[in-house]
Amino acid sequence: MPHLDAAYTLARYLTRNDADAEDVVQDACLRALKYFAGFRGGEGTSARAWLLAIVRNTAFSARRGKPGAAAFTEFDEAVHSEAIAERHPEATLLKRDARESFARALASLAPELREVVVLREVEGLSYKEISDVASVPMGTVMSRLSRARTRLQEALLSEKER
Amino acid sequence: MTHPEFVDQVDPYLDDELDRVQVRALEAHLSQCAECARFRDERMALREAIRGGLPGLRAPDMLRKRVEKAVRSAAAGAGGRSVRWAPWWPLALAASLAVVAVGSWRLGERRAGEEAFTQQLLASHVRSLMPGHLTDVPSTDQHTVKPWFNGRLDFSPPVHDLSQRGYPLVGGRLDYLGGRAVAVLVYGRRQHLINVYLWPSTAGPEVGPAVQARQGYQLLHWSLSGYSWWAVSDLGLSELQEFKGLLKDAESTGSSVQ
Repeated sequence: MPHLDAAYTLARYLTRNDADAEDVVQDACLRALKYFAGFRGGEGTSARAWLLAIVRNTAFSARRGKPGAAAFTEFDEAVHSEAIAERHPEATLLKRDARESFARALASLAPELREVVVLREVEGLSYKEISDVASVPMGTVMSRLSRARTRLQEALLSEKER
Repeated sequence: MTHPEFVDQVDPYLDDELDRVQVRALEAHLSQCAECARFRDERMALREAIRGGLPGLRAPDMLRKRVEKAVRSAAAGAGGRSVRWAPWWPLALAASLAVVAVGSWRLGERRAGEEAFTQQLLASHVRSLMPGHLTDVPSTDQHTVKPWFNGRLDFSPPVHDLSQRGYPLVGGRLDYLGGRAVAVLVYGRRQHLINVYLWPSTAGPEVGPAVQARQGYQLLHWSLSGYSWWAVSDLGLSELQEFKGLLKDAESTGSSVQ
C-alpha cells in the first residue's frame, strides 16, 4: 500500500496510541481496497489525500464506537513520549523537555484542531486537500488551523513558565 | 496595534495559500507595520516549533506485514462471488504492496541523498555570503557574465537581466555541487541576495522537493530548458516564487544572451 507511513503518521497522531493507530491503519487499508474502484483521481484530490481521508474517518468512527471512551486514549506522557522516542529516533533530536511539553500541548488540542495541524504540518496537504479530507469548507480549515496554532503557542508559553 | 484584516492573512501567507495580489498587499503592509511584522515573525518561529515537535513517523514493520496479510486474504476472499469488489483490484493492490516494500526502502535512500544535497546547497549559499566569496565575475551586465563561463564549464548557462523587474544581476561564480561544477548567478533584491544554481539536468544529482525552507532560507527547485535550477535566498517565499516566475518567463521567451 503506497503512503502507509503517511497513513500511520496521521493515525498515530489522532489516536495517540500505537495499538489503536495500527488497527485504524489496517481497517483503513481494507476500506480503501473496497472503495478503490470508486476513487477517481483528478479534481485536485491526490491518492494520498484520498487515503488520508479514509484513515481520518476510520479513526473518528473508531473513537465514537468505543464503549465509554468518548475520546481517544488520553495522553500518557510516560508511555507515549518514550514510545515515540524509542521507535522514532528523529523525534529525539528535539530536546527531551521541549518534546514533552510539545506533546502535552498537542494532546490538549481538540481532535478537530489536532487533525488540521497534522494534515498541514506533517502531511503537507494544501488547504483544499485538508478541506476534502476533513469534509469541512476551506474557511473552516483556515480558522481551525489558526486556532490550533494559537493554542499550541499559548500551551508552549505556559509550559515554559512552569 | 496589529491590524486584524492583515493578521488573519499571515497564516495563509506563510502556508503559501494567498494569490499574488493578496501577497503584494500583505507584504506592503508588513514592511510598514512593525506590530504586524512582529506577529509574522512569531508565527514563523511557532511553525518551526510545531514542525520540530511533529516528526513524520514510519509504519512499524509488524503493521506493514499485518496490512499485507489482511489485503492478501481480502484479495483471496474476493476471488469468489463478491460482486462489489472487482476481483482484480485486490490483486493489483496486493501486488503493489510488494513493489512498495522495495520502493519505500529506495525512497529512504533517495531522501537521505536529497538531504545531503540540500545541505551542500545551503552551505554553498551561506559561504557565498561571507566577504569575498559571492562572485568570481562581479558585473551587472549579462553580456559580461555569460561569456565569463566560457572555458570554465562544459555548458554555457543562460543569463537573464531582470533589473527592470527589481532583481538586478550582481554577478556570477563557479561552484562545485553534488559531484560536478555548476554555474551560479547572483541576483539582488533590496538588501537580499539570491543565488541561482544551474547545470544541465541530465548530468546532475537527483532532484529534491520543489520548495524547502532551512535555517531561515528558502530553497526553490525547478527544471526548464534542459537545466536543473535551484534558487536559494533569505527572501520571503512569495517574493522568491515571483523571482522564479520572472526567470522562467525570461527563459521561455528567450530574452537571454545566446
